[in-house]
Amino acid sequence: MVFLTLFNLARNRGPDKYWRVQQQLRMSWHFRTRTRTCYRIGMNVVNKALMYSYNGRKLKKEQMKYLWNTRIEAGAGEHGLTRRELLEGLARSDILLDKKVLSELAVYEPRTFQSLTEIAKKTMSDTRVGKPLNVLYEK
Amino acid sequence: MAHHRVQQWATFARQWWVYDATWQCPFRSAPAIIKHLQGKHKPIYHPTNDCGDHVVVINSKHIAMEGDLWRTFKYSHHTGGKDSEDPDLETFSENVPDEILKNLSGQIQQVMTVPKGIHEYTEEEKAEFPALFDWPQDHIMMRSGPSKPKQ
Repeated sequence: MVFLTLFNLARNRGPDKYWRVQQQLRMSWHFRTRTRTCYRIGMNVVNKALMYSYNGRKLKKEQMKYLWNTRIEAGAGEHGLTRRELLEGLARSDILLDKKVLSELAVYEPRTFQSLTEIAKKTMSDTRVGKPLNVLYEK
Repeated sequence: MAHHRVQQWATFARQWWVYDATWQCPFRSAPAIIKHLQGKHKPIYHPTNDCGDHVVVINSKHIAMEGDLWRTFKYSHHTGGKDSEDPDLETFSENVPDEILKNLSGQIQQVMTVPKGIHEYTEEEKAEFPALFDWPQDHIMMRSGPSKPKQ
């Protein structure tokens, strides 16, 4: 609210109840029963929804990373590489593509992804230390 | 005119894979098979997308179990119901049916290298192999028969 006079500003104590109710109703318009219309009944539901959305913003990032990793693993596996070998090879080749872009390339541009795996393979075989690539498990 | 932008040949098809379980550790083979059943070997994988494939495991009676696990390992499965019991494992003791074999389109890579048995080497190869000493006449090269049970 805008106060043009100093007297009204001093008299104002906190947010007006009308505006507080309207703020909550804007967030509860898609609920069911009286939680969408009544302020007092919908108070806990709106707070819980805000908690869920706050946590979901973190969970979404984790789940998307998990999905990207799975897709990169699948795309690299088609060309005989693991995800770690592909990412390590690209990093050593100074190809700075993140996991989101790599997973999209694996789905929508498989030829581009294949050329990236070949670059990673060559770099890893040139700068390899330790066991060779794609070796079966031997006991 | 072909729309190459939307070409999705066999992208969402359900494929059939074969896995040869000869001399393979079942506990290491399971993740490799699960990956194909869930569709995690495809770049289009999504948890809500039904993109898994079929897997046919052959020679499952020739798997390599460690130690005495052939005798001691229990495959327990309990549904929690009142009268539920541990179900018997269904296996094709005979050959795989032809209507299944004709669907196969690929093979899953084995997780372990199949070792070559001592009986598969020829006598010439055995003679050429460098030896530090000669075995006694009554020495048995390979253990046969069941091992002792665990106490």
